[in-house]
Amino acid sequence: MPAIDLRERIRTSVLDVRGDGKAGGGLVLAFQSLANLMLRDSGLHVQEWPFFSSARRGANIRSFLRVSAKPILAACEVTRPALSVLMDEGAARSADFTQGVPHGGTFVLNTPHTPEECARHYGLTGRVVTVAGDAIGSEHLKHAIGNVSIYVAVAHAIGGFEEKAIVASFLETLKKRHVPDAVVERNRGALRASLDAVREGVFEEESARRSTAPWLGYGYLPVGAQTALRLSAANQTANYAPSGLRLRFDDPKTLCNGCAHCITNCPEGIIRFVPDAERGLLVTGVDVSTFCKLCGECIAVCPEHLFLEVPYEEPWMEVSRS
Amino acid sequence: MSKILEKNGKAAEKSVSKAAEKATALTHCATPSGEIYPDAIDLAKVRAAHHALYTQRETITADGNTAAAIAALQMWRCILFAGFPITPSTKWIETVAARVAADVGGKKRVKLLEAEHAVADYLVGAAAACRDLIFPTATSSVGLDHMTETTRSLGASGLGNVMLVNVYRATANFPLCIEGDPSDTLAHRDDGFIQLACRGKQQIYDTVLQAPCLGMQPDIMTPTMPGYYGIKDSHRNARLTVEPDAEIHSFQDHWIRSCPLPGLLNGDSAFGNCVTSRHFQGFKVAQRRRMDRVIDILPIIGADFERKFGRPGLAYYDAVGFQNGTPPDIAVVSMGPDFGTFEAIREEYQRLAWTRVAGIAMRLLTPFPREAVRARLAGAKVVLVVNQAHHHGRGHLTLDVADALSNIENPPRIVSVFTGLGGADVSESTWERILDHARSALDGKALPPVAFFHEGTQL
Repeated sequence: MPAIDLRERIRTSVLDVRGDGKAGGGLVLAFQSLANLMLRDSGLHVQEWPFFSSARRGANIRSFLRVSAKPILAACEVTRPALSVLMDEGAARSADFTQGVPHGGTFVLNTPHTPEECARHYGLTGRVVTVAGDAIGSEHLKHAIGNVSIYVAVAHAIGGFEEKAIVASFLETLKKRHVPDAVVERNRGALRASLDAVREGVFEEESARRSTAPWLGYGYLPVGAQTALRLSAANQTANYAPSGLRLRFDDPKTLCNGCAHCITNCPEGIIRFVPDAERGLLVTGVDVSTFCKLCGECIAVCPEHLFLEVPYEEPWMEVSRS
Repeated sequence: MSKILEKNGKAAEKSVSKAAEKATALTHCATPSGEIYPDAIDLAKVRAAHHALYTQRETITADGNTAAAIAALQMWRCILFAGFPITPSTKWIETVAARVAADVGGKKRVKLLEAEHAVADYLVGAAAACRDLIFPTATSSVGLDHMTETTRSLGASGLGNVMLVNVYRATANFPLCIEGDPSDTLAHRDDGFIQLACRGKQQIYDTVLQAPCLGMQPDIMTPTMPGYYGIKDSHRNARLTVEPDAEIHSFQDHWIRSCPLPGLLNGDSAFGNCVTSRHFQGFKVAQRRRMDRVIDILPIIGADFERKFGRPGLAYYDAVGFQNGTPPDIAVVSMGPDFGTFEAIREEYQRLAWTRVAGIAMRLLTPFPREAVRARLAGAKVVLVVNQAHHHGRGHLTLDVADALSNIENPPRIVSVFTGLGGADVSESTWERILDHARSALDGKALPPVAFFHEGTQL
């Protein structure tokens, strides 16, 4: 099946776009800039809004965008997006960004991987557009943030925009937020770099039609459910951690002095220890798999500097090795 | 709506003029303390000090909070903005503060207070000091609850120059929820505010512009509470048409006359005195009568707004799908942006279900326009009321609708449902399932007093 013509969707019905990312990752800014870009065309109607909770930085968030040549009445969330955006691959650990995307839909991902690798890894059919936004952000903005690049890649995927308008619309959004001129200029550099960095391909290997998962009810919700929610497997705070980094406890010379500062300061209770009659509580390691969100408390309080934030890359079987 | 307008229009216009005459006369009356100082505040100077935000009609991109903030900033009578941030209303005070700070030489001021209760108290003092200026703020959820001690006094005090923008957010909650359902505003139905519900940026902007015109009417003098859904509308960006400040001033100055009572700066000597029960009852009766006048005057102001700006003005409700002479099988009563999703699926649902479906989205919550609602719904076979706020009975809206439909011959059957609690999404499939539920009532099926829906499923 050919990829859905997104411009045609705008002309004849409504183009639904959904984005998955993490709080503080710039997804909302990217979508606001996209809305600005669309609204430059006086014949288009646009709705743009975020979905986020009271959870902290790093928690999953979603953004929605509707674009149409006709007035838009619907106000509900986008559940069948013809264009799905994955701003942060870490978000895909706890949200299905492919959910509800129809056959021939477009996926736009902020990733260092190729479209082919992404199609295989995530089982995507249709059009896959990728851009290594974090790397571009690191180079131009001194911060691994891919929102500039993902904005450019989505504009590219929809098509029909002049490069000048793409750049101008994003910078306008920044100015609305009173961003200093020097930062605006650095973003201009990132925008220009992103324009040349977008890659895409169309894939038809998988045949499974993706649909919205049925609502299965709330399950058991005890009174005062916060404790249950916080410790539940469904609320793995490790997913709030910045992508590409992990906490490591490194004590080959057994320097831990048993002060227990890390244990009392860790908000998630993930530090493993053994009691020692002479020295106190000796740390033996950390469980980073479920609840460590890299808050950095242990790193800050350890007098022996035994906790480290180290680069971590999730291994992909699909990555072609040369 | 237009019939009601025609019927009541002339009488109400006359009544508005009479009230204005009475107001002018009262302004020049001495206060019980003796002296008055009508020139203590030079309104002409205040007006002249206003720096226009827009000098011509423009189309911009804005979310709901920005739309409400721009409207307040464009009024020359708004010179003091008090506030305390709370999600999802925070951007209102942020936008106001950013503009006031950027307005070099401007005379307007923002007052950030210690908490919402302090904001409400501050509003009372400022609004009582000068009854001819408008004092706005914005809050949400527990912020509104925190104001309650003062909002109830404020509602009864004749301070129609206070405008409290309520960005709806679920309230009374552990676990915490920052998303928008109208449980905060509906828990404050008796605070004594005129409560106006909006949906969409344009309606938010337009409503904020008109609200003080209504609240400051000499025979209404009741504070206003325009409101809109948090996140769903407060954070949703779309196109917004903004009017030039001069046109807004011309519209508002036509409707806002001198207050019949002197403010504290003009010579009134006290505010919030203690009275005996005999007098207290009189105050409450007068308060009720002032509130009732809203029903007469609101559509007149709305019609004038439409004449001037070419967009629908204040109304009791938005109606869709009603045809003259052919009452619907199902008439939906709802409020807020989710009504738009109903509008989007309505025609297709009618075609597939062979059922005539129409609906109203409430705009005026308090006072509830019983007669207008009754007139609109009376012929329907089933009235489906969609509530979005927690209620231990059949739903806030359901009770009002049931009251409106009482004492008529062959009243429609009322079907009450809840959805979107805590600002949960109300998808197309949820609306379809809700309509299916109401359709089963057409066949005479017995239904529970209330039913809950989410994600296309009855819970």
